[in-house]
Amino acid sequence: MATVEYRNITKRFESFEVMRDLSLSIADGEFAVLLGASGCGKTTLLRMTAGLETVTAGDLLIDGLRVNEVPPRDRDIAMVFQNYALYPTMTVAENIAFSLEIRRVPKAERRRRAEEAAALVGLGEHLARYPRELSGGQRQRVAMARAMVREAKVFLFDEPLSNLDAKLRAQMRFEIRQLHDRLGTTTIYVTHDQIEAMTMADKIVLMRGGTIEQVGTPDELYDRPVSRFAADFIGSPAMNFVEGTVEANGNAPAFVAEGIHLALPVSLTVAPGSPVVCGIRPPDLVLNADGSIEGRLVLAEKTGPDVQLHLSVAGQDFIATASRDAAVEAGGLVRLSVAPDKLHLFDPQSGRRL
Amino acid sequence: MSRTAAAAAGAGAPSARLPAPLRALLRPLSGEGAFPWLAPLVVMLLIFTIYPLLYNIWLSFHEYAPFRRQLEFVGVVNWVTLWSDTRFWGSLGVTFTYFFVVLTIQLVLGMAIALLLDSDEPGFGLLRALLTLTLVIPPAITGMMFLLMQDPEFGVISYVLQALGVIGENHPILASRSTALLGVMLADIWQWTPFMVLIFLAGLRSLPPEPFEAAMLDGASPVQIFRRITLPLMWKVIAVAVLIRGIDVFRMFDYVFVMTSGGPGTSTYVLSLYAWQQTFSFIKWGYGATISLVSLILILIIANLFIKFARVRW
Repeated sequence: MATVEYRNITKRFESFEVMRDLSLSIADGEFAVLLGASGCGKTTLLRMTAGLETVTAGDLLIDGLRVNEVPPRDRDIAMVFQNYALYPTMTVAENIAFSLEIRRVPKAERRRRAEEAAALVGLGEHLARYPRELSGGQRQRVAMARAMVREAKVFLFDEPLSNLDAKLRAQMRFEIRQLHDRLGTTTIYVTHDQIEAMTMADKIVLMRGGTIEQVGTPDELYDRPVSRFAADFIGSPAMNFVEGTVEANGNAPAFVAEGIHLALPVSLTVAPGSPVVCGIRPPDLVLNADGSIEGRLVLAEKTGPDVQLHLSVAGQDFIATASRDAAVEAGGLVRLSVAPDKLHLFDPQSGRRL
Repeated sequence: MSRTAAAAAGAGAPSARLPAPLRALLRPLSGEGAFPWLAPLVVMLLIFTIYPLLYNIWLSFHEYAPFRRQLEFVGVVNWVTLWSDTRFWGSLGVTFTYFFVVLTIQLVLGMAIALLLDSDEPGFGLLRALLTLTLVIPPAITGMMFLLMQDPEFGVISYVLQALGVIGENHPILASRSTALLGVMLADIWQWTPFMVLIFLAGLRSLPPEPFEAAMLDGASPVQIFRRITLPLMWKVIAVAVLIRGIDVFRMFDYVFVMTSGGPGTSTYVLSLYAWQQTFSFIKWGYGATISLVSLILILIIANLFIKFARVRW
């Protein structure tokens, strides 16, 4: 159990700065997900936490103690690597029990705890196998069992699911989250997959170019993205964006663009006449015969439970999510509406939320 | 339908779409008429390997009669003589001593230096490149160098060892029974340890970094990481290096020939020198061939035992 705190962390590789003045704190027992595109610094931050990369400037605290100079072996951190990093020359049992062997735990207890951990991830029968004799998913489980057996202060996961197929990925997502709920260990999980972040995190840390874009719960990031970047990153299919202006009809503000006229919440404080970017999440675009948006249906993409409608509204591409039994036809015209409180407005220059 | 036609008619056979001359050219590769392609190799093997080996075996059952100037059949006499030849057993003992000591030192020293040079800091690339330098020197020249350097009057090695008090005043390293073999070993170790280092470095630098990072996080110390991660991962590489060097060391000839001629007494008298002397000094071609064959058989046995023993499961 531990808190992890980053204070004004800067990281340079040679003269190349990959992270600047980053501050973040992760509470005891929290499941934090570092989310971002490749190159945003999320893995670097994780590796600095583990002690595998040095911190150029700033303080890294675990449980309130500065650990910048503490070597990895003394940090009491367990990590699951992207390519598992199993010990190829050891059997599954030896892999799991290696940290115990290092701590001179008696052989019988080592065996017992390795078996327990293996059983927990469903690897009970494979203890005598070597990593190369296992499938990708099984290797992933060994890596997890190896981390679990440690009872470490902090668990780190570096894109642990990116090498697995979709079905296994969904299953492992669930298992990792369950594991966390059972053990309650502070966890930092790195991924570029927003679905993993949304499904598993207590707290999402969205990163961009070595800085933090937004920190919040999955709901906060989905419902109130602080920027166009955050809005675009979270949610699948991605949010629709339209450029237009805010106009005031008496005291009822509205967003106006070519072929689009949408009522905005009365509480809005944006000055009339300001250029804005309006974001609408595809599920918030509702088929409605009285809707103010008219679009031509280009393609209806079936995903099983629902249909993604690819629309052309006044020459602009839109995606709307509708239920599978929606009566629509490719090439036909449909009308849509959006509730005013589902609209997200962003500054066209800075991209910040208005 | 011929086999080729059947194969060509097979689903998606790409050769069916090739022009006829190209198809004819590729046919031997598909298994038909492979012999012309193998012939050069077979002929080379026959001339340079199989024939000399068979001739050697044949020779070991004959002996050269100097007065009649011809090879005469002597049956198993050479093999029986060998059995009770103390000189042979003595040289076998020297060979094995040399083999184990030199191989062990080169292995341990080679690994230690490789670990030290396995770094990306500036300058290490140059150091690694310099390793090849000793390997380009002909062993006979190296032998001459070490002969001179170990001269009790003006040799630098003798001078340093005397200054350090390791050896007595004017102690002739290569002319003393107690130190002659060590003196020869020194040349071998100097020349060939870099070879071990090169192979180990190639191995070390191709190891994946992740297991090492995982071991660090698991709390392992550098010594524990070396013992439990590096060494097992390097096992195959070590086995290959030991096999190559082992065969070489076992049949070492140049250094003793140049430095000591087997002396003083028989203290550096290795098997290959004995075979050479019997064959070319005493013109006992049959006996020389017999000793070489024993050497070959021993190398084959040791190498195969080693390969069997060194096989890894993971």
